[in-house]
Amino acid sequence: MLYRSSSVAIALAMALLLTPLPGAQAHDESKFPDWSGQWRRVEGGAPRYDHSKPYGRGQEPPLTREYRLIHEASLADQADGGQGLYRTSARCIPMGMPWQMYGLFPIEFVFTANTTLVLSEIMTSQPRRIYTDGRDWPEDQEPLFTGYSIGKWIDQDGDGKYDVLEIETRNMKVPRIYDQSGIPFHEDGQGIIKERIYLDKADPNILHNEMTTTDNALTRPWTVTRNYRREKKVIWTENNCVEGNDNIAIGKEDYLLSPDGYLMPVKKGQSPPDLRYFNQVQK
Amino acid sequence: MLLKFPIVLTASAAVAVVALTCAQAHDESKYPDWGGQWRRPAGINNQWDPTKPWGQEGAPLIPEYQAIYEANLKDQLEGGQGTDPTYTCIPDGMPRAMNVIFPMEIVILPETTYIMIEYFSMLRRIYTDGRDFPVDDGTLASFIGYSIGKWVDTDGDGRYDELLVETRFMKNPRSFDASGIPLHEDAETIVKERIYQNKDKPDVLYDEVTTIDHALTRPWTVTKNYNRERNPRWFELVCAENNEYIKIGEETYMRSPDGRLKPSKKGQKPPDLSLFDTRNDAAKK
Repeated sequence: MLYRSSSVAIALAMALLLTPLPGAQAHDESKFPDWSGQWRRVEGGAPRYDHSKPYGRGQEPPLTREYRLIHEASLADQADGGQGLYRTSARCIPMGMPWQMYGLFPIEFVFTANTTLVLSEIMTSQPRRIYTDGRDWPEDQEPLFTGYSIGKWIDQDGDGKYDVLEIETRNMKVPRIYDQSGIPFHEDGQGIIKERIYLDKADPNILHNEMTTTDNALTRPWTVTRNYRREKKVIWTENNCVEGNDNIAIGKEDYLLSPDGYLMPVKKGQSPPDLRYFNQVQK
Repeated sequence: MLLKFPIVLTASAAVAVVALTCAQAHDESKYPDWGGQWRRPAGINNQWDPTKPWGQEGAPLIPEYQAIYEANLKDQLEGGQGTDPTYTCIPDGMPRAMNVIFPMEIVILPETTYIMIEYFSMLRRIYTDGRDFPVDDGTLASFIGYSIGKWVDTDGDGRYDELLVETRFMKNPRSFDASGIPLHEDAETIVKERIYQNKDKPDVLYDEVTTIDHALTRPWTVTKNYNRERNPRWFELVCAENNEYIKIGEETYMRSPDGRLKPSKKGQKPPDLSLFDTRNDAAKK
């Protein structure tokens, strides 16, 4: 894990530096790091939560037995041609946190005096509002796929300029998964995600996001570090998921739309949808 | 069958190429305070001209498009969707996005003004860095369009008070509102806006929107107004989450509450299921 020290002495010394700068409502740009532009994931390959490990079971998520079985069932369904737990995304339901910080599609950071915004090109990722105005958790906020995020800017090296954004996100809506293989969150929606986002000290065009998830589907907090690269040539697209989506959901079943516009099965031997309401009309 | 990646299917994705420029220092004192959450006034529905009733807005359509609009209204009366394309959960696009059916936030930075609208996660980037419109290489079109803005200090007090915006490169299908007022299929729409606050009531924002389109006999100007909520609560409006409409081929069907397919119009034929092997089902029965 980057920037972690095993030395207690160093940790204590660093802790003394991890002091938030006095909050000011006016936005003093000179105090903030340059995270401008467009960021994409560094690592390629199949979309997976922990890029350092293989897709699917290879992610080795520390799931409880119950949720490991749920993940296995998702993988088995996908092997059969189904969507598994990915079916929500196939229906263009937002990815939510932490998946929306994956960076398969570009993200942008926008700093204001009270909020850091994370804007995603994929329109099924709602904008993240990370409140850095010192507020406490609201009591009556309805769950969101993005969750409710409170952040704190840290001047880690004491040079008068913030370099780390620490975020805690709660109140995330379920069902949610970590990645395409369907690694599940607990259905109780009690998950908490803590992030530390900072620029690479050697390469200011690399941004790191150390994400630690605590969730009742996990046997322990799960920490994964995501890396993003700043694009030299910024190209914003409008990716709305619905356009060109050939997944059709009817009730609990998933179907596909053939290129010539016919409904078709996703699995061998899948039954067609029940058309009883049409029969009634035709009588 | 391998996993489907709808988020990757961007064949028609709009592309805007932006040169990365050095950040300008942001002198907030020069810009108006448009912070908070902006909402359409109570009683205004999804209609383009808020001063007129829904479906009776007197759009200056050329005869061909007036006929399209009339046919659309008739189809909607029969249970169809007419020329309102958003029932499939595609974004409203411009200019309809500025109906602000669900709340809007405006974030002003020196090079870009961001307009975020809760519905469909619509995000407008209005570039105010002095750039010109790029040459369209065929990949620029998006529902929301490509917007260039200019801040204006109309009263010479040293502080900007108006944002002038021009938007081009919008793609179809779009309509002005839920009644289905159509835009021309050539997608050569240009939208010009003048966004400003009420001088006496800073919690009221106006957007004077002029649309130039080949479906119109003349530029059509409508002024929208929005009210500010200073202590906003943001929510997520996810169109796909509870969308009861399904488009299969050229037909639109509905999902019944019990999860079955049902017709959207009286007498509608069911979808063709010839790609299913129904022999197994017959055997099961």
